[in-house]
Amino acid sequence: MRPHDLGGAEGFGPVDTAESDHAFSADWEARLFAMNVALRRRDAYTSDEFRDAIERLDPDTYYGSSYYERWLAAITTLLLDKGLVPPEAVEETAGG
Amino acid sequence: MADRAHFGVTERVRCLPQIGDHHHRAPGYVQGQVGEVVSVYPARPLPDAVVASGGRDMPAVPFYGVRFLARDLFGEGQHSVTVDLWETYLEKSG
Amino acid sequence: MSDAHLSVPAAARVRRLEQAVIDAGLATDEELDAILETFLGRARPLNGARLIARAWVDPEFRRRLLDDPSGPLSELGLPSLGPNQSLRVLENTESVHNVVVCTLCSCYPVGLLGPSPSWYKSDAYRARVVREPRAVLAEFGLEVGAEVDLRVWDASAELRYLVLSCRPTDTEGLSEEELASLVTRAGMIGTAAV
Repeated sequence: MRPHDLGGAEGFGPVDTAESDHAFSADWEARLFAMNVALRRRDAYTSDEFRDAIERLDPDTYYGSSYYERWLAAITTLLLDKGLVPPEAVEETAGG
Repeated sequence: MADRAHFGVTERVRCLPQIGDHHHRAPGYVQGQVGEVVSVYPARPLPDAVVASGGRDMPAVPFYGVRFLARDLFGEGQHSVTVDLWETYLEKSG
Repeated sequence: MSDAHLSVPAAARVRRLEQAVIDAGLATDEELDAILETFLGRARPLNGARLIARAWVDPEFRRRLLDDPSGPLSELGLPSLGPNQSLRVLENTESVHNVVVCTLCSCYPVGLLGPSPSWYKSDAYRARVVREPRAVLAEFGLEVGAEVDLRVWDASAELRYLVLSCRPTDTEGLSEEELASLVTRAGMIGTAAV
């Protein structure tokens, strides 16, 4: 089963309910968020394909990555798979 | 026709078990479970098909708000969970 | 598993990816800056809060908001959701409490609430709130009585949900603007009373 399907899974501790004043904990997260919006607007990929790319991360990568690290790995993989960026331009950024 | 809804509000439906390992939007915790249709929504592109076609195909399929009881899903709990499920994932429950 | 990606900080990887995307003609610097300033700049919880506050003072607006939010959204000058998404507003009452999650990823009405809080995106919230919502809500400081109809909504398709909380007591003299300032993001997701 894909690692993202978490509903009802057990073994998780308390939710960290802390609220931050900042939408993103680092600038790169915001840049990545903006990149995702731009790419989808340009029809580089659909939201469905974006979710699929995250779901295809191997479980170690999925569970070992922060939320936006998953996005980074997924977007990179998606752009490579579709031949939209050359591999040498993004080496070491694809995960899983 | 693919975009005409087959289920109605109050109808009992089962989410198909073992939907598969491809991209879909049927959470594992409701697969194989029976719930009640509480809402019928207009057809939207089925994610499974969008991904399988590399973003080319956008077949519109109706989807539903289906309410499940926690005790059915998890064996305990005094709450309900309403999940939005495309018709493709559902069958009539007897 | 290759740890090569872990050895390069995410910030550097994002810069490299961004350059690759720009070089490939898939986006421009200006576009990315505009998204950050405009889309994200305009997306904030106050947007949703204005809907809630108006619904508290105007029963007809409330009825229309619950029935079909598209009219109310445009009346308040609020952006509609993405091309394939729709908003649905869920009404809390004395006997019904609603709470929203997206267990499969973390779908969320960003335009109305701003970027989602970390907890909403967390694996723990996504896993636990469908199975043990009262325990999870208690961690947020919200007690939901056993007699209350507690409805968890999993935004697994194209709907995005907003919870219309109960108007707090002792707020009769407040203006709509003051009422909107009482509404929290957590309240509009369902993990707070307001």
